[in-house]
Amino acid sequence: MPNLTQIALATGFGLILIGFYGALTRRSLLRIILAFTLASTGVNVVIVAIGYMRGRTAPILDEAVTTTTAVGRIIDPLPQALVLTAIVIGLGVTALMLAHAYRLFLRHGTLDIAAFRELKW
Amino acid sequence: MPNPILLIAVALGTAFLLGLLEERRRRLAWAISLAALAFLSWVPATWLLALATGQAAPVEILTAGAPPPFAINLRLGLAEAALTLLVNLTGLLTTLYLKDRLLDLGRRAMAVLLVAVMALDGLILTRDLFNLFVFVELTAIATAGLLLLSDDARALAAGFKYLMVAQFISVLLLIGILFAYHAGGTLNLDGLAGAPSVLGAGQGWILEAGGGFAFLLMFVALVAELKPFPANGWALDIYESAHPAFAALFAAASGTAALFAVDKLLTIGGSEWLGAATAIGLATFLIAHLCALPQDNDRRLLGYSSVAQTGLVLVGIGQRDLLGDRYFFVAFGLLAAHAVAKAGLYWLSGLMAERGLSAWAALRGQPWLILAFASFLALLTGLPPFPGFYAKWELIHHLAGADRLAPLGLILLGTLIEAGYLFRWFGYVIKRPPPASAPLPCPIHQALPILVALVGAWGLGWLWGELSGQTQLLLTWPLAFALLFLLLEWLPSWVKNTLAIAGLLAFFAATYDYYDPLRLIFALIFLVGGAIILLAGYATSGQRTGFYPSALLMYAGLAILVLAEDSFQFFAAWELLTIGSYFLILRGQAAEPHALSYLLFSLGGAFLLLTGFALAAQGAPQLALADLGGVPASLSGWVFVLLAIGFMTKTAALGLHVWLPGAHAEAETDVSPMVSGILLKAGLFGLFLLLMHLGRQQLYGIELTHVILWIGALTALFGNLLAAFQEDAKRLLAWSSIGQMGYALFGLALMNHLGWLMALMFVINHYIYKSMLFLSLGGVAKRTGTRDMYRMGGLITLMPLSFIAVLIGIIAISGVPPLSGFGGRWIFYNAILDTEARLPLVILFFAGPIAFLYLFRLIHTVFLGQLKDEHRRVREAPFWILLPQMLFVALLIAFALVPGVALRQVDGYIARFFPDGGLTWDGLSIVSHYGYWNPVSIMLIIGVIFMVVFAWLLFVNRRAQKVKQFNIAFAAERPYRPETTHFAWNFFAPYRKALGFLTLPLATRFWDTLADLLHAAGDLGRRLYTGNGQTYAFHFLAFASGLILWGLGVRP
Amino acid sequence: MSFDWMRIPWSLVTLFIVFNYGLLLNALIAKIAARVGRRHGIPLWQNYVDLIKNYGQRTTISHGVHFYLGPVFRLTGGIGLLLFVPTLYGSAYFANLSFAGDLILALYFVFFGTLGMALGAGESGHPYAALGVSRGLSQVTAAELPFALAVFAVALQYQTLSVTEIVAAQQGGIHHWTLFTNPLAVAAAMLSFLGSMMRPPFDLVLAPQEIPIGPPTEYHSSYLALLQTNRAIFPIAKVVIYMNLFFGGATNWPVFFLKVFLITMVSVVVGVVSPRFRVEQSIRWFLIWAVPIGILAILWV
Repeated sequence: MPNLTQIALATGFGLILIGFYGALTRRSLLRIILAFTLASTGVNVVIVAIGYMRGRTAPILDEAVTTTTAVGRIIDPLPQALVLTAIVIGLGVTALMLAHAYRLFLRHGTLDIAAFRELKW
Repeated sequence: MPNPILLIAVALGTAFLLGLLEERRRRLAWAISLAALAFLSWVPATWLLALATGQAAPVEILTAGAPPPFAINLRLGLAEAALTLLVNLTGLLTTLYLKDRLLDLGRRAMAVLLVAVMALDGLILTRDLFNLFVFVELTAIATAGLLLLSDDARALAAGFKYLMVAQFISVLLLIGILFAYHAGGTLNLDGLAGAPSVLGAGQGWILEAGGGFAFLLMFVALVAELKPFPANGWALDIYESAHPAFAALFAAASGTAALFAVDKLLTIGGSEWLGAATAIGLATFLIAHLCALPQDNDRRLLGYSSVAQTGLVLVGIGQRDLLGDRYFFVAFGLLAAHAVAKAGLYWLSGLMAERGLSAWAALRGQPWLILAFASFLALLTGLPPFPGFYAKWELIHHLAGADRLAPLGLILLGTLIEAGYLFRWFGYVIKRPPPASAPLPCPIHQALPILVALVGAWGLGWLWGELSGQTQLLLTWPLAFALLFLLLEWLPSWVKNTLAIAGLLAFFAATYDYYDPLRLIFALIFLVGGAIILLAGYATSGQRTGFYPSALLMYAGLAILVLAEDSFQFFAAWELLTIGSYFLILRGQAAEPHALSYLLFSLGGAFLLLTGFALAAQGAPQLALADLGGVPASLSGWVFVLLAIGFMTKTAALGLHVWLPGAHAEAETDVSPMVSGILLKAGLFGLFLLLMHLGRQQLYGIELTHVILWIGALTALFGNLLAAFQEDAKRLLAWSSIGQMGYALFGLALMNHLGWLMALMFVINHYIYKSMLFLSLGGVAKRTGTRDMYRMGGLITLMPLSFIAVLIGIIAISGVPPLSGFGGRWIFYNAILDTEARLPLVILFFAGPIAFLYLFRLIHTVFLGQLKDEHRRVREAPFWILLPQMLFVALLIAFALVPGVALRQVDGYIARFFPDGGLTWDGLSIVSHYGYWNPVSIMLIIGVIFMVVFAWLLFVNRRAQKVKQFNIAFAAERPYRPETTHFAWNFFAPYRKALGFLTLPLATRFWDTLADLLHAAGDLGRRLYTGNGQTYAFHFLAFASGLILWGLGVRP
Repeated sequence: MSFDWMRIPWSLVTLFIVFNYGLLLNALIAKIAARVGRRHGIPLWQNYVDLIKNYGQRTTISHGVHFYLGPVFRLTGGIGLLLFVPTLYGSAYFANLSFAGDLILALYFVFFGTLGMALGAGESGHPYAALGVSRGLSQVTAAELPFALAVFAVALQYQTLSVTEIVAAQQGGIHHWTLFTNPLAVAAAMLSFLGSMMRPPFDLVLAPQEIPIGPPTEYHSSYLALLQTNRAIFPIAKVVIYMNLFFGGATNWPVFFLKVFLITMVSVVVGVVSPRFRVEQSIRWFLIWAVPIGILAILWV
């Protein structure tokens, strides 16, 4: 029975691969953006999975986990912090991509990526 | 000293504070942005000064009050200070340049710009992996944001393609960082670098579970940021469609920061990856330059060039193990050269109304912009005195020392291709008609960044000269003197001419004692000879913009060449004279394609020289020329071949000669004597040095001097033969020069006393009579308006002085006694009696009489025969063009009477190398081992007989009536038009019929085909960039997968 | 530098002897050629009469001083060539002015006359003059190649460029002549000789049966006289070189006359029975037949 970490890792990588696949094969800009969102979600899952340590608890200091005993009892808080940052960055990039898609739609009337080929060679 | 954290804080703060301003206070917002960026430039500037002079030490900035690995730290060392200065300065100047656009867009655009600059600064300063990721993403966001605000709608598509690839990159990077953290236990770069392992200090974490894979992922991601081939379609689209000022920022600043990020990453990785970096960089460099060849959109062309240059810096990074403590010198030199040049070129692009390459001809409206353009191109291709030159010199020498010849060759090949398309563009700028639209607008806020870039380029050149440990080129007298003329362009040309002549003569007088007899001859020809030819410059009135700096640049190169003591000075001088002469030749009316082919051949030869010198130096930074003889036998054959071919490119040996007829023929009247009479001798000078120091060499059993004998003989034959078939007077003379250089090559390769003496006599004689002939025919061409000989005729009465000059010239070349050419022939016959090489001799014997053919054709078709109607009123050539010719005539006659004047000195000097077989002087006779010759007696005897017969004839016909030339009758017809009685076209038809097969332009066809192949390859390559964003994503994935698979194969 | 002033009068004596011999020889050869063609031929003294007539004439027009250059250069070339080569070997009187230069001087001085001729002819404004000169130059340059090769082979063989020394090496019997010690060189040189004597088959340049074209057409009276004088001297001077290089030289005047006659007859014999080559044919002929022999001569030495 694979443990939670391995399942999470597999899920994460699976999401990433689905996201990449979607970005490479879907022609509509919105679907591409969606695919990338999937992929970054997958990345986040992977990060969390890497950061997990067996038998440990959440990195929150309260009565259950005091400062002195924290080191041996909590998982590494760093990956979780990184995930938060990554989520925010992902939001920013997604928003920007949507803005681009919108402007492109206004100009070309279509969301087909194959239509935006004025710049080439 | 200001705290470096201000770099982040001020930028970020100002960006947000701009939001507090009212929407309509745009000018204020813009001014605040400028002020902030000025501050952001001042901070690293002060730090750079302090760090460079040793007053401060690199500092760590702790962001959360706790040391790493518990918090993120930044570092400001020498490299970081320099790089952030570059980034921020570019940002400042871009903001200045974008004034109009930013005022249109409002404060949000300025805020995004500030955030972009901040992100790049952070990328440079950070020492934390995840922080690196954050700043990479911030850069992406800011870049995409600026693209969103661009006024060219195509930039939107570019932005989306960019974001797609950025997403892929961020996924890879993030996974990699996390696995690295998992393996190494820290996110801090220094922590990872110093992690201990059983195998030794550092990089132990790579061996931990997943560590190697992590590094691989991060490496792929960060290298992808550098726009490697093939994953760079998005970058090219950005370069093409974004506002040029933004493209400048993208090229100069983003590229810089990304390169430094890769550099930082490589410090925590293994040295196996350096090879991968080099390979990727080389592929990108070469392919991008190839794809740039067929471009006609200026911004896209610059985009390809940027991509290529980034690849070059990546190669530099990949060689960090080899470069040792010269690493920053080399890498930063290449980087700074690229950044300043690209920024400057993009800023120039913003001034142009159209996108075609020929539209840049509008630059001619403002001469200082031409100077800027030329400087940027020189900076980009690594010509002296700019930093790229010094950096490339070091890199090539280190590569040669470590026997890494494949990267060496590919770098030089790529640079040659780059020089090709960049200087072809320069030719358009100088030669094509400017677009019909209004004169070039150049408002102050756009001119200032360009000016700063220009000053920066020269300043960096000076700085790199100081840091290089070699000769500071800008402080050498000749070059400084030449550059002075840039400032004196406003003076009338006669003033500049006088200054130039005085400068050349003064320099010769000042350095007179430093020359040994051989160098003295060359110095005489280069400097004093140059001064004589410059006399013809007085014939031109006006300002003659651009002539004097170019000409003096060439003479500076020649002057330094003769005085050079080590390979660096020699090579720098060689490139200087190449550039100067290229600019000179380009001034001719129809010279555009010929100047380009001249430049390419010369640069190709120069790069061969560079390789030869680098091989000979065996890892040392330079080689004293006198030590060339000490090269070990395993290398000396190759060094010989490389150096010999390099020099023979300059003397236009057969196969490498295709540039010469066009270049010398199309050059201006007083430029042709300079390049034909003087410049070709530089190649001979090099060959002299080569043979003096290296002597005979063998390669795979082939005696190399023997090969040169054959080349010399064939060159002489074909040069003379093709000269006889030319219809254009100056082309005839140009082919004649090729033939004469073949003779000189032959003499040198004989490797005996008299052979060298003959070559030296050729050097002197050829200078005198070729300059004289070019000046004379140039004067004729000026007066008659054409260079075609069949359009002329009968000019002897109207231009008698020119006729005399040509007459004396052709008698001298033909070698008929009593003039000085005979001395050369006599020495030649004596020289070949000693040699074993019989077969090349036959060819050379054939070449001799053929010279008569073209010599006669020249004088007959131009001066004899019937005068054409349209020329009945031509006057003699201008005085100042005649004066040098008459000087040369006097010199030739003097030289014929007393050849010993120069010969004796040189004979004694050559005796050092070839003690046997010299000449002895017996009174007025010159005696060799085989024969004898008495020039004075010959002259006297012939003179007496001639005078007696002539006088008798004059006396007998003293009462004859002088009739006009047209007063003839033949075959019972009376001629009506001069055109029907002047036989000049296809003069040697029988010879052509007999030997026509020899005149097939095989060499020209070969080189043309090669050029076409390169263009076709480039065209094929660029079709890869189909414009579809998904295709670009595919490229990226292919690149990434390929690299990952390769990496997995390497990892144990 | 000590100069033996007596050389000058003795050189003039040589000149006089050769001049007369040349006039007579030319007439004799014309007579022989005529007899072969079943004609009577000119009387032997005809050249003298022609010369006296031409020297006596005066010209009323002139195209300019430069027009004089042709005959002057030609004659200077002829006289100079004769005097630069020793006529009789071993004779103190008839060594002429050969101290001034060696074989190379003689080789190049041959072109002196050609050059001047070309200049003077062009000045006449006559288009056919240029045509004739261009043809002449083309042919001469191709014909000179085997001669240069042969000369070089001889110089290599005897390791000297001094004509006196080469003649000295051939003394001591007929088998010492270069003709027998280096037959390839002599063969190449004699083939070239045919070309430079401008007799058939290489006489297109001065083709007598055609409408006269070329410099001789325009030159008349005193100019023609000078040219005719040169015609008497220059060929002899060239043959003297051949004689000295390949046929053992001459130690006295009778041998001189005989050898010069015989060598000249070689070209006459070939000429009287040959038609005419076009210029490109003659160029090819020299390159295909004469040059390889010359190359062999050099390689074989």
